[in-house]
Parts: sequence; structure tokens; C-alpha cells
Amino acid sequence: MNSNDTDRERRRRFDRVVSVFHQDMYRYAAWLCRDPSIAEEVVQEALLRAWKSLDALREDSAAKPWLLTIVRRENARYFERKRLETVDIDDLSPAQSAMLAEREDSQLEDMRLAIFRLEDDYREPLVLQVLMGHSTREIAELMGIQQGAVLTRLHRARHKLKDEMDKEAAA
Amino acid sequence: MNVSGKNMNCEEYKEAIAANPSTSSADVDAHVVTCESCAAFQAEMQALDSRIAAALAINTPDLKTPDLPPIEDDNVVNMPFERKSKTPFWLAIAASFALAAIIGVQFAGNGPAGDYSLADQILAHIDHEPGALRVTDVLVSDERLSRVVNPSVGTMDRSVGLITYAQSCVINGRTIPHLVIQGEKGPITLLLMPDEMVDSASTFMGEGVDGIILPVGNGSIAIIGEREENLAEIEQKVMDSVEWSI
Repeated sequence: MNSNDTDRERRRRFDRVVSVFHQDMYRYAAWLCRDPSIAEEVVQEALLRAWKSLDALREDSAAKPWLLTIVRRENARYFERKRLETVDIDDLSPAQSAMLAEREDSQLEDMRLAIFRLEDDYREPLVLQVLMGHSTREIAELMGIQQGAVLTRLHRARHKLKDEMDKEAAA
Repeated sequence: MNVSGKNMNCEEYKEAIAANPSTSSADVDAHVVTCESCAAFQAEMQALDSRIAAALAINTPDLKTPDLPPIEDDNVVNMPFERKSKTPFWLAIAASFALAAIIGVQFAGNGPAGDYSLADQILAHIDHEPGALRVTDVLVSDERLSRVVNPSVGTMDRSVGLITYAQSCVINGRTIPHLVIQGEKGPITLLLMPDEMVDSASTFMGEGVDGIILPVGNGSIAIIGEREENLAEIEQKVMDSVEWSI
């Protein structure tokens, strides 16, 4: 196989892997950074890094956690580069507001806002479990924490959301 | 948190269900069939999860793949390997000796350690000295500190924080001071590398830890702390407290 064939095969493999998980990468990034425009930037950077390090992905079946790990790192790098502590959630940008209220469904919007306001430590494992379908063990590996800590955070995250929803219902 | 279900009481059951409403096993299921209150709680949590799932499924824009650069040898990134803190201590030591042997051979042959980036070596080194990362308020003595950070390397004043570990170690074939200070979230490792010149600051990650290698004069300093630690704050303190002799 000459180098052109190798390049083409590499590109085919990359497209195959990315086409399946591109939306997951974006949604994960969006919930990590809570800003759709930053999420797009983070995913672009993550894709470039994934392309350069594609050889490190030994099995395509492991692509999802591999790509999400890269997104996670790129998100951390983004905020480090920009020296941003956090995204301000008290004063939502138009893009953030649009992300929360893309459909006319006040219950959905309330839930999104409640998730949006969760601390990073609680929001991230919830996204990985509910949206990405990761097991507790996979979440622990990706976040670099113990499984027990993951369970505790998930437990607390749901209770916080339940409390918020109960308050909304009572209001 | 008991998720096995054996002798599970209502409180434990509810904790497990709140952590994962779709969790199921013979033991967990055995509890819920005998407890109406827990069955209602499970139904409530599953309904909540449906709402959470719907809320998380935001629309995605028209996602495009960026222009991908041609792959050349110097364009390929070696992803840093994760720090595996669960590695048995004896295995970590054996592995570090093997890594040291490889690095030693390569260093003796021709300089830097081949495929192992500086960040890789730092994470491997931290793994094989787990005793350094103790939460303690017992400071190293001035005598020991000056022996490890000796005048031929430079000076370090104690304004950096509580220095609880000081040891001369080998990184990338060079003997360097390995220090640990106590941070807000846990022990923080400092590696003073007066001969390890880097072009710019670079960050890296291990399992549960973040690290940064900062250029300082003609050398560099690596700072590694727990993921939640504010390393930016530590960076400035470290830079202010170290002065190279070279």
C-alpha cells in the first residue's frame, strides 16, 4: 500500500468514526461549556486533535469514549487559554438562551435551565450517563474519579433537579 | 453506597435508584416488589430521567469537519497516557524501572527519551512515588530542603506553601528536586528542572490530575495537582519562589 492509499484509508476511517459520534461530541461539549458557539469551537479543535492522533485509537469500537475524552481535554484547554473561570449563567447570551429554549415547551425549558445551573461536577456525569449511555465505570474512567464518587454525584444531581422541578411546579 | 441489593433497606435502595433509575439486578428488584414506597420512588425517578433525557437532547447545528492537515511524522500527536493510580505498587515500581532503563539507554545514546514525552515521564514518576502524596502538615526540615534544592540548582523559599516532601529524583535522565506542597484540594507535586528547557507552557492530564510544565529561565518547572486544584494560583507562587543558580 503506497502513502496515498494509506492517507485515503486513514481519512476514510476518520470520517467513519466521526460521522457516528459528531453530534454526541457537540452535545457533550455544549453541556460542558454551556455555550453553543464555544462548543462548536471546542469540537473543531477536538476533531483536529483526533485526526492527528488517530493511530492511538486501536479499535473503532472504543471510538466514543476516546472522542469524548478528547472533547473534555479540549474544553479544559479552551478555558485555560481564554483564562475564563466559568460561563456566566446569570446573564445568558442570545446563543445560550436559544440553546435552552429551542422549542416552545416551558417544562423542557425549566429542566434545561435547572441542568444548566447544576455545578459542573454534577452536570457532567449526568450528561455522560443519561445522554451518552455510559456506565458508572466508564464515567469514572473518563472523569478520573472513583465509581463511588460518580454514584454520589449522580444521586445528588437528580435530587437537585427534582427539588428545582418541585419548586417550579409549586410556583 | 450499597448497590448490591442484599439486605438493602429503603434508604440504600433510594440512593441506588437516584444514582441510576434504570439499574436492575435480582437483589435490587427483590426489594422493590416488597416496598410500595420504593416502587413509587423508582417510578418518579424514571419519569424525572425521561425529562432529563429530553432536555439534554439539544438540537445540533450543521456540524462540519475542519480542514484536516496532511499527516506527517512531526504532525502526529502522542496522546499522553492516563495515570493509573490503581496499579499495584510493586508493578508501578517494576514498570518505572523498566521505563527508567529504556530512558537511560536512550539518554546515554542520544539525548531525550524517544517516544516518552516529558509529561509521560512525569506522570510515570509520580505513580511510583505514591508515598510523596500524603496529606500532612509535617514540614521537611530546612536541612533536607537545602540538600535537595542545593545551591548548584537554585534556591526556593517557603512562601510557596507547606513543603511536605523533598527528594532528589531522576526525570529524563537528569537528577532534579521533587517537592510536594499541600494545596487546597490535596498534595501538589513540583518538579524543578533547571536543565529541561521548553519553548512554552504546556498542560497535560493524568487520572484525576492536571499538570503544567512552565518555562522558567533556561529550565522548566512542572506542577501537578488534583483536577479541582487552582493551578494558576500555584504557578505564580512557584515562579516567585524559585531562583535558578545557573
